[in-house]
Amino acid sequence: MSTIKKIVLAEDNSVLSLLLKFRLEKEGYKLLIAVNGKQAIELIEEYNPELILTDIMMPFVSGLEVISHVRNKLNLQTPIIVFSSAGQEEIVIKAFDLGATDFMSKPFSPHELVIRIKRLLL
Amino acid sequence: MNDNLHIFESLKHYPLTIQFVWALSCLFFIFIILLTIYLKYLRSHLRVNEKKEAKYQEVYESHLVTYLYAGNDNEVFSSEQQVIINELKKDVADPFKRKIIISTLLKLRSEISGEIGESIDKLYIKLGLLRYSLAKLRNKKWDVIATGIRELTQFKIKAVHKMVLNNINHPKREVRKEMQLYLVHLYGFNGLEFLNVLETPLSEWDQIQLLEILQLNNDTQVADIKPWLNSSNDSIVIFALKLAKVYNQFEAKEELITLLNHNSEDVRINVISALSHLHLFEATTILKNNFSERSEEEQIAFLKMMENVYEASDKPFLLEHVHHKNSEIRLSIMEILKNINFEEYTLYDDDIKKILTA
Repeated sequence: MSTIKKIVLAEDNSVLSLLLKFRLEKEGYKLLIAVNGKQAIELIEEYNPELILTDIMMPFVSGLEVISHVRNKLNLQTPIIVFSSAGQEEIVIKAFDLGATDFMSKPFSPHELVIRIKRLLL
Repeated sequence: MNDNLHIFESLKHYPLTIQFVWALSCLFFIFIILLTIYLKYLRSHLRVNEKKEAKYQEVYESHLVTYLYAGNDNEVFSSEQQVIINELKKDVADPFKRKIIISTLLKLRSEISGEIGESIDKLYIKLGLLRYSLAKLRNKKWDVIATGIRELTQFKIKAVHKMVLNNINHPKREVRKEMQLYLVHLYGFNGLEFLNVLETPLSEWDQIQLLEILQLNNDTQVADIKPWLNSSNDSIVIFALKLAKVYNQFEAKEELITLLNHNSEDVRINVISALSHLHLFEATTILKNNFSERSEEEQIAFLKMMENVYEASDKPFLLEHVHHKNSEIRLSIMEILKNINFEEYTLYDDDIKKILTA
């Protein structure tokens, strides 16, 4: 009996979070939503998810700090997908340097996101 | 009461100025009290509205997500979608709720592409929100017009571009900017046709934004920039030069070289930069011939160009200007001379130091 895989989503856009939660829970994942980086770190430490989705620009703690915390403080190898907006290419490179696994630039297709998640969680 | 009367009585004996100051102070005091009461009322009213807005936002977000995933494989709206559409249509008539519905749609539309993005666009039209956006274009207030155009851009409404184009020379810069972004977002390079009729200046920031959108569009059909290089609007010429650089418009070589004699120094400097980027070094002969007649900024731009394309035959020209009064120009010349592998370079070490520190 396979356990339900947990995904932490750090995204301050409430309607986007809701949409992704709806879509990913339909695919059989359990979604834990954080509205800022600080909350995301708390959820990651508590639930040890199988995947992390994080936006870059967030209140309190940014996506880059989340990645750094996961890789350097918690020493986890959890796959991390970063969402970036246009014009943030340099930040995406920084995210990869810190240990991000993949990125998707906004606006993105939720369908494509699901394909990437499935591939990472094989 | 008697004390108050006594105060008023004693005031009457004071000079007029003192009486006037007292009266003014009392008036201000009453005004402050009334203002405080009004501000308290306004604050509680705004807080109530905020709570209402948050509540409606939650409801509409939930409706939107349910709507997006309640669709079926064919083009027709499912029954579940139709229920949501009918419910939202009732609320669209209320300006307060309509504003929240539009902001909810926009909040998601800017983050999502693909089929779901197109579904949001269809929902926007199905709810009749297009009518309200078009009405904004006819409003007298410039910020309302700009908001209307932005909504049409974000929901990718192409059919109304003629109405949007009416604002091409709107007195307000913000409206013109939104119109330009609308055209380029939806039509790519074809949208740049507004440059043919634009009379107002295109600011540096506007140019940067337009270039960014064009690059995101990945439109391979680059427009013909030659007419814009001959524009009487200098900012359009400069924008066309940027396009020439970014999209490697070698076909415009003759026009670019002609622009070396443009009236505007800004244009001439941008042309030199474009020629350098495109490696069109036929212009170096022209620029060398009238180097002294050009401004220092142009001379600096030309020398930057020469740093990529020097030849040994440039030595006499460089030596002629090595004692230029501008230190940046002197430094550039020395750099080029050094790169030419000017074998006598080291023999002139002392002279070079004098030149650089002159």
